[in-house]
Amino acid sequence: MNAQTHISGNGDDKRTLVVVFLRGAADGLTLVAPVGDDNYHRFRPRLAVKREDAVALDGFFALQANLRALEPAWKDGELCIVHGAGGESDTRSHFEAQELMEHGGPASGGWLARFLRAVNPSPNPLSAVALAPTLPDVLSGAPAAAAFESLAEFSLGGLGRGRASKVQANFPRELRRLYEMETDGLRDAARNTFDAIARIEAIDPNARPGNDAKYNERDSFAGGLRQVAQLIKADVGLDAASVDLGGWDSHFTQKTLIEPLMLRLANGLAAFRQDLGARMATTTVVVMTEFGRRVAENSAFGTDHGRGSAMFVLGGGVKGGRVIGPWPGLKPEMLEGPGDLPVWNNYRNVLAPVLTRHGAPSDMTHIFPDYDLKPLPLYL
Amino acid sequence: MKSSTRREFIAASAGAVALSVAIFRSTQGFFTQMGQVAGVGVERPLDGRLTPPGAREIDPVSHVLNRLTFGPGPGDHARVTSMGVEKFIEQQLEPQKIDDSLCDRATARFSDMWNEPLGEQYDADPEALPPVLRRVTLLRAIYSERQLFEVMCEFWSDHFNIDPGKGDCRWTKPTDDADVIRKHALGNFHELLRASALSPAMLWYLDGRANVKRKPDEKPNENYARELMELHTLGVHGGYTQQDVMEVARCLTGWTVRGRRDDGFAKTLRSPQTDHFAVFFRNEAHDDAAKRVLGTEVPAGLGKGDLDRVVEIVCGHASTARFIARKLCVRFIADEPPTSAVTAVASAFSTSKGDIRTTLCALFATPEFASSPGIKFKRPFHFIVSALRATNASTTADRPLLSYLERMGHMPFRWPTPDGYPATAQHWHSTLLWRWNFALALANNQIGGTSIQRARLQARIGSDVGLMATLLGRQPRAEESDAWLKSGDGLALMIASPAFQRC
Repeated sequence: MNAQTHISGNGDDKRTLVVVFLRGAADGLTLVAPVGDDNYHRFRPRLAVKREDAVALDGFFALQANLRALEPAWKDGELCIVHGAGGESDTRSHFEAQELMEHGGPASGGWLARFLRAVNPSPNPLSAVALAPTLPDVLSGAPAAAAFESLAEFSLGGLGRGRASKVQANFPRELRRLYEMETDGLRDAARNTFDAIARIEAIDPNARPGNDAKYNERDSFAGGLRQVAQLIKADVGLDAASVDLGGWDSHFTQKTLIEPLMLRLANGLAAFRQDLGARMATTTVVVMTEFGRRVAENSAFGTDHGRGSAMFVLGGGVKGGRVIGPWPGLKPEMLEGPGDLPVWNNYRNVLAPVLTRHGAPSDMTHIFPDYDLKPLPLYL
Repeated sequence: MKSSTRREFIAASAGAVALSVAIFRSTQGFFTQMGQVAGVGVERPLDGRLTPPGAREIDPVSHVLNRLTFGPGPGDHARVTSMGVEKFIEQQLEPQKIDDSLCDRATARFSDMWNEPLGEQYDADPEALPPVLRRVTLLRAIYSERQLFEVMCEFWSDHFNIDPGKGDCRWTKPTDDADVIRKHALGNFHELLRASALSPAMLWYLDGRANVKRKPDEKPNENYARELMELHTLGVHGGYTQQDVMEVARCLTGWTVRGRRDDGFAKTLRSPQTDHFAVFFRNEAHDDAAKRVLGTEVPAGLGKGDLDRVVEIVCGHASTARFIARKLCVRFIADEPPTSAVTAVASAFSTSKGDIRTTLCALFATPEFASSPGIKFKRPFHFIVSALRATNASTTADRPLLSYLERMGHMPFRWPTPDGYPATAQHWHSTLLWRWNFALALANNQIGGTSIQRARLQARIGSDVGLMATLLGRQPRAEESDAWLKSGDGLALMIASPAFQRC
């Protein structure tokens, strides 16, 4: 299959995986609060989410109120939550934990990159994107991965950060003419590139999102998701995208810090889902963070570095409306180390079934080396 | 930045343990006196005749410049034509005899890094070392007159790839670059391999440091042993078995490196060393029983001597000669090199016992090399450096320039897996847009820290056609001249053109 058919063949069956990384260690016990667990309220007299303020999920767990925009996805069975999720390392260093999680263990290169190399070794120029100034580790080593903050950068003359070279009117035509005289793969590569540019140029950046979806225009996270949705709808051949939302390190006055972030997270994801509409069937969003936070609140109305947090899987075919545990309860003797929610579900076991749905080979030892995978039944 | 007092102290006391990079050390004093101003780029002098290539096709001079260097600058064609291609190759194979003061000046402000003993680097800012290494590598590729040497450093850096992102490699990759890659780039392959095996960065990167056998039931770590044969010597179908991997791993048990933070291995081995990143051998962690590697007996009781036996066995293997020869032919001849050339180069490798100069000489003498002009697709690093050299750019190789390499996925020392950056065209075809945008930005002086003096360059070369020929290594074709005129931005167009993507 040459790259041209790959681009134009990006029809209904093209599946796109979007990875949202919550940098700074998001508090899973606030995002998805075990409001039915008495110990939760004892450990967190001031910070616990109260049942009456929250969005009830299954009677025991509830979403913090600022995540209310995710309720429709939950009710439609398109949002699955995995609690006590995290990595096997007990490092409580952001840097180390993010690196381990993005690399998929003490391997070099990112797990998403290895997945892309497995499914699409000769991709088109827009197979993987990161809406970021630089490529995140998770995409390190991907066969084609572009990092940019705005789609406008993927244009002839784009310089990044909103700057552009002046391109003379005849320049693209003359450039194209020279490449059309080639007879080998270089001509196809140039055609692919001009095609991708044209598809992106055809995207009206001010076009209204689908289904009256509303992205917050001032929010860079929502802006990133909006551009990912534009790429998906423009059929540029997007296999994977990475979008970050940072700032979750809430040692101090946690509520003030993370409540606005939760609002951005939920509203961005809800707008994305609404915008894509039926195309959510072929799109999966995974939300992850490097570790969770201490169960007991600290004296500064905050929480310190912990272990298990929550992961969200939203979209295509997932059997949602579930919080996957187990949840043995927050009894002090159940906690790990200095009093942390244990990691019951390794992040790889959440990612593996998602990657399977997105075409990964059944043997994933190259994607997650040196790890005995036990994929969670997200789709069963 | 460290205080000069501390630098002087280290320089004075470093002695035998100092990181030795002769090239840098020899010029250090001079440039400290010069007080190199930070942030000012240098430029290759535009002296002598700048007669551009006059042939309609790529002639042998342009071909050799395209392949043995990161691209010709203005005047290089005339210079090599007058000295003769053979003489040029001969010179390039003896880089230590080539004056490189311009390159030294371009990189002088970073030389702190090379003048510190490795153990002193553990407290360096881990986020600073790899970026400095990247900049210096780029500056050398642009400004060094020892071009073939730099090309081979790039080749071996891929062959023995180490991602500084893993563990202590952040701190130790710069030393690997100096003491393994650059020290042996045109030396002997056996010595290069041995140096790599004992490189602190390699011991970290491929887990050699954790390859121990302290108890009868302890299983050696096979990671390095496998890559040693699969990627560094015999090649994946080179005729070794899983048993050989296990036997090589056993031979190398006991070698380890003192970590920045003692995380177990060096500690449990009761390190006799206090220097950070010191490499040492612990007999009690070595499996000293007899082994059998690729059919050759490694007798019991050799201790650390097992390493030399392994190097000898794998380097002497016919598959290694063939594997290295093929990789060199892919770099210098074609993505799918003719078997006849590979055979000739492998034979030179074997008979010279891994002498890299002899092997390269044999390669450049093959008819397949001579008949392959203009068919290799430049990797992004080569493309960017060749554009800067062709336009005689002045650059500090700062962030704005490096970001183009990042966009194209070819930032030096950032490939994660031990196989190194891909060598062939297919992997890089998706980078065209960023190449075109780089061409536009360079031609219009829009890259921070990088500039070209277009009017002066054009005046010295004399004509549009001359400038085109300098870029293309031949006279432009009619359609290229036509496009140059019609595009409204001829220089950018020529750098973005298909012909300039090749070498």
